[in-house]
Amino acid sequence: MPRALVIEDDEVTARDIVAELGAHGLQADWVANGRDGLARALADGYDIITLDRMLPGMDGIDVVSELRKRSVETPVLMISALSDVDERVRGLRAGGDDYLTKPFAPDELAARAEVLLRRHRRPEAGETRIRVEDLELDLVKHNALRNGQPLTLLPTEFRLLEFLMRNAGQVVTRQMIFEHVWGFHFDPGTNVIDVHIGRLRRKIDGAGQVPLIRTVRGSGYVLAPAD
Amino acid sequence: MSLRPLTDAWRSATSRLILIYGALFAIWCVILLGVVQWESSRYLTNVVDGMLAARLHYLERTDSRRLTDTVDAASAIDATGFMAAGLFDAQGRRLAGNVGKIPKGLEEDGVVRAVTAEVEDHPGESGRRARGLASTLPGGQRLVVVKESATIDGLGAIIRRGALWGLSLTLIPGLLGGILIARRPARRVRQIQLAMEPIREGDLSVRLPVSGAGDEVDLLAGTVNTTLGEIERLLGEVKGVTDNIAHDLRTPLTRMRTRLYRVQQQIEGTPEAEQLEAAVEEIDTVLARFRALLRVSELEDRQRSACFENMDLGTVLKNVHDFYAPLAEDRHQLFELDVGKLPPLRGDPQLMFEAFANLVGNAIKFTPNGGAIRMVALTDPTGDARIDIADTGPGIPVGERDAVFRRFYRGDETRAKPGCGLGLAIVSAIVRLHGYSLAVGGNDEGAVFSVTCPAA
Repeated sequence: MPRALVIEDDEVTARDIVAELGAHGLQADWVANGRDGLARALADGYDIITLDRMLPGMDGIDVVSELRKRSVETPVLMISALSDVDERVRGLRAGGDDYLTKPFAPDELAARAEVLLRRHRRPEAGETRIRVEDLELDLVKHNALRNGQPLTLLPTEFRLLEFLMRNAGQVVTRQMIFEHVWGFHFDPGTNVIDVHIGRLRRKIDGAGQVPLIRTVRGSGYVLAPAD
Repeated sequence: MSLRPLTDAWRSATSRLILIYGALFAIWCVILLGVVQWESSRYLTNVVDGMLAARLHYLERTDSRRLTDTVDAASAIDATGFMAAGLFDAQGRRLAGNVGKIPKGLEEDGVVRAVTAEVEDHPGESGRRARGLASTLPGGQRLVVVKESATIDGLGAIIRRGALWGLSLTLIPGLLGGILIARRPARRVRQIQLAMEPIREGDLSVRLPVSGAGDEVDLLAGTVNTTLGEIERLLGEVKGVTDNIAHDLRTPLTRMRTRLYRVQQQIEGTPEAEQLEAAVEEIDTVLARFRALLRVSELEDRQRSACFENMDLGTVLKNVHDFYAPLAEDRHQLFELDVGKLPPLRGDPQLMFEAFANLVGNAIKFTPNGGAIRMVALTDPTGDARIDIADTGPGIPVGERDAVFRRFYRGDETRAKPGCGLGLAIVSAIVRLHGYSLAVGGNDEGAVFSVTCPAA
């Protein structure tokens, strides 16, 4: 069972995070301040850390930079009430792996935590092919095959499919898709992401194929073989 | 309202005051000198009249047999025409003296009159203005004494000349000095005008310059500064309250959404689940609005050029086009991008993407299916980059064109569409942060949003 360390000074939020991670099969421990959090993160081998940006005693930024300075590579999901892009950049530059703004939907947090866990366990570097069922992606040649048949994908569609396939079986939210595929952090508002998914879906889930991209109501999308 | 340069010194309040003072001073001088002249000529006239009366009195008392000789003697002495005398018979024929004839209008009633006299031996001076007095002697002869009033007139001329010199010697340097003096306040007012410029554009943190002299301009600037501070504080409070409400409501709303979402997951597939899904969507809409509202505040609070770089706006626009092209295509809209040569620009590509994404998203939303959206970027004649986003939607009525950039503003045409009226407020904040300008134009066949970016 993967273990998560929750460093969060607000008890209600902490309880929510612990419950949500628990529901997704993680064993979560809670620490209420930065100094203790750093000590626990250094001492015990956690698989993932959720870290509040503003903490009493020691700031979230200081905690993560200290961890990285001591070569602790545990993925860190920074959580903050500060939504400004500058804050996000600062958090990521200090060594955070992802940044989530408060208040957040718990499933968004769980989705991001799982993406981080997966990426940490199976580093992207060196990988040349991704395969999910009969869908294949060649990262070197930049082509995609479904059931042996080549697919014609636009560059954006290729990146979108790569993101979904890397996180196959994992729900990804529209916000996460926008951040990872397009690299922007604002709220695109409209249903643009849905339109992009729809086009990709028409290309890979053609007639007679088992649909791979599924919509998760109220949350996002998942690329997974039918159960 | 546009700034009017105060180069025209005559228009300044100080110059006007100086002119008014100058005119009043001149009028006062003229009145004063007029009174002096009038008083002194009256005095001199009195003196002359007294002398005339004395001379006449003396001649009247002279023995009548010696009168002719006396008058001739007196005239002979009067080489300078100081005071002339004449003796005439009842018919007005001259018997003695150097007065040619009885001046017209001179009555023998003992009253001194202003007359035109002819004095012999002084032909050049005959027919000049004079004072005259006449009387009838017991024998029917008439006795006339005349004194020229040239002295009195000369005095008036001296006073008038003096006034002219005095006025020009005081008024000309006074006016010149006044203009010089007026230039200082004009310069200060100009400084204040320049300082007001960013304030008019919404930057309430700017204060007017205070020279420290403690004069009226300083007092005024001080008052304006205090008022600005107060407005800034109040606006900050209003914005703070709005932001706080949005901020504080987000947490309970998010929790509510989570609960509803969990229940919906548990009863997936039932009609109730659909109801719950609709409720979750409603909450998502509200949360999106709060996010947008806080985003506007965040952008407005941001310091300019925090993370500006040399950006390739063409690439940003191409990315926006790529991002929205599928949406336009789904709606059978023609979405064209035309990027010409652009000057070098400094900015934040992330924010510019956000701004143009909002503009393009709006254009697609308000253009009917089958319409067209066109995004054109070019260098305008002044060397700035201009990006026009034109659509074939209903357009924006002229009266609403300023209002569309305000928070929560929604035009009559747009109320039926989904949205929160914050997109353009975000665009406006981003554009302002960059020092770019945003304008809306077009007609009832479509709106045109233009962003002008000064070259770096």
